[in-house]
Amino acid sequence: MTGVAQYAALSRRAILNTFRQPTAIVPALMFPLLFLAMSSAAFERSIALLGFPQVDSFLQFVIAATIVQGALFGAVAAGADMATDIEGGFFERLIASPVARSSILAGRVMGAATLGFFQALLYFGITIVFGLDVAGGVAAMFLVALTAGVLAAGIGSITVAFALRTGSTEAVQGSFPLVFVILFISSAFFPRELMGGWFKGAATLNPISHMIEGLRFLVIEGLSASKFLTAFGISAAVLVVGLALAGGALSGRLGSRA
Amino acid sequence: MLIPRVPSTFVPSIVMPAFLTVAMAGAFSGLVLLPGFPAAKALDWFIPMTTVQGAAFAGITTGMGVARDLESGFYDRLLLSPTSRSALLAGPLVASVLRAVIPLVLLVLIAVVSGATFAGGAAATLATLSIASFGMALVAGAWSLGLALRFKTQQAAPLMQSGVFLVVFLSTAQMPIDYLTGWLHAVARVNPMTNVLGLAREGFLGAVTWDGTWPGLVSLAGLSIATIAFAGRAMTKVVP
Repeated sequence: MTGVAQYAALSRRAILNTFRQPTAIVPALMFPLLFLAMSSAAFERSIALLGFPQVDSFLQFVIAATIVQGALFGAVAAGADMATDIEGGFFERLIASPVARSSILAGRVMGAATLGFFQALLYFGITIVFGLDVAGGVAAMFLVALTAGVLAAGIGSITVAFALRTGSTEAVQGSFPLVFVILFISSAFFPRELMGGWFKGAATLNPISHMIEGLRFLVIEGLSASKFLTAFGISAAVLVVGLALAGGALSGRLGSRA
Repeated sequence: MLIPRVPSTFVPSIVMPAFLTVAMAGAFSGLVLLPGFPAAKALDWFIPMTTVQGAAFAGITTGMGVARDLESGFYDRLLLSPTSRSALLAGPLVASVLRAVIPLVLLVLIAVVSGATFAGGAAATLATLSIASFGMALVAGAWSLGLALRFKTQQAAPLMQSGVFLVVFLSTAQMPIDYLTGWLHAVARVNPMTNVLGLAREGFLGAVTWDGTWPGLVSLAGLSIATIAFAGRAMTKVVP
């Protein structure tokens, strides 16, 4: 089997694995939508506040955050799947086979990226039915989905690294609250202009705020190269860090076996 | 005994409400600028909700503990022992209420340190908040116990949590009833949790009055009766 075929086969396995586990995928898909439905109905009147961006609806303001939320939640599943492979012994069989070590990581990361990308398009499809207007059109939706896919790959890499270090599904799922914290201490659900005190400072320091604000601009105002590159650059940076961590963790696990 | 021995079942009921208090009061601090918003600070609006939610999640740990005992077979021994079913029902429910003391104390401390407004006076505010919290711990405990006895597995935990999450958030958890729009406004109007949160918030938003108190008490009584009946029915059917 060639190197490319190895990458393709393990990526395909991870993607199918992701989509065949309704217990893992449905909460990651449905919870952000449920939260979106509730927050849109709850905070609709807040868009009249002075300092709130000019939007048609709270739905238009918050859809970018919902997409990022879905990508983050779904990415945790990549790490959990890797831990399951370790616990179940499949990882040992992969290591014993003549596959490239990097393809083991690539498979899981591709699974997370694919879920993040298509989940974003699904969210757009559903919310457009409920009246969402995307100022940047189809191109903006594609760019937002692309960024979400890269972010999902990045967070997926970090959770895969955690799985390789601990070898425990429970420990990986225990990292979920960290994702929750990163998202909530940001401008994901309310504009920074209307925050105050230390929370505003923390949200400003959080790169997730700047990523979501970049994506939000594409939805509210229209296409902008600088806003997209800011959002995409942050996602890509997360991916680079995640891959470095996952690579180190894989080396560590292989080294401990030697 | 689950609290010190299985912290993973209980810690989330302390950590999550504390985090949600910080996150919601911080992120949505600008909401108080809305004309007619009933609270002077976002903290006054959100901390009663997160306290009640924390108490409810503390109550759920009872059901999770029973589910664990059912899986391990320990509960079979309880069922075969000369213990009345009513004692097996009442014991975990009392534990649910007692467990709610921990998040309640923690969040009251956060409220004091963060400068929450006890507009109705400290004693009356704490009294109404405590009644709402202990009541919801009982309701959530009975709900989770009923599910544990029916499903006999810890895999029912997400169902226990989702039920409480939905009841809380499909109410005035995030915004006052007059600010809610569309379907959420309609659901929150008939959701008894709206009255329970009204009871919990009463002292943070103004004076504690009988008119502001009785709807919450009636709602708690109704929810308690319904969920205890749900658990009691499951208890009569469970066999070793």
